[in-house]
Amino acid sequence: MEEYHRHCEEVGFNAEEAHNIVKDCVDGVLGGEDYNHNNINQWTASIVEQSLTHLVKLGKAYKYIVTCAVVQKSAYGFHTASSCFWDTTADGTCTVRWENRTMNCVVNVFAIAIVL
Amino acid sequence: LDGRNEVGFNAEEAHNIVKDCVDGVLGGEDYNHNNINQWTASIVEQSLTHLVKLGKAYKYIVTCAVVQKSAYGFHTASSCFWDTTADGTCTVRWENRTMNCAVNVFAIAIVL
Repeated sequence: MEEYHRHCEEVGFNAEEAHNIVKDCVDGVLGGEDYNHNNINQWTASIVEQSLTHLVKLGKAYKYIVTCAVVQKSAYGFHTASSCFWDTTADGTCTVRWENRTMNCVVNVFAIAIVL
Repeated sequence: LDGRNEVGFNAEEAHNIVKDCVDGVLGGEDYNHNNINQWTASIVEQSLTHLVKLGKAYKYIVTCAVVQKSAYGFHTASSCFWDTTADGTCTVRWENRTMNCAVNVFAIAIVL
């Protein structure tokens, strides 16, 4: 039976907790795999959906946005950036960078506090 | 604040704002490893500034990915848990001869 934990004393977004959740999801989906054009659609979708599901299950008052980019390893350049206009005391973000022999993966989590 | 009675996020308006920013930063340029940092930062910052200037009650997140054109694969995905009636997103895809650029805007309604 699952328990919903209410972290009432926590102030702000727990980036470390989110980082661990997302890293486990990426390990589970991409671990042991080589870049494969036929599967990449399914993999990126699984990563964002599973990460989102686990974050929501924490039962905290947040809206979440999860983005994932997977790039085949090559000599070619790849760069990402993000900028946010929000409540810096309550909202937060974390980035998980993952790689293996054939691909790089970058997952961003953006958490917006729900004001009740 | 203008008096428009708009419900929900205006994706078309955001799309035009972002496209103009990307055109302004990357238009006429070739992929350049020395400039890419500055370009992606400019794209997200200028887009964000223009979106905020609309004066609407939204928080914004803008992400930008730039990839040098090659035969190698590149794929992105996103998923959101939010208020589907008030919050919204738009994606701008841009390319030239040497690079692909994808910019995402996520807008979260501020409930006052």
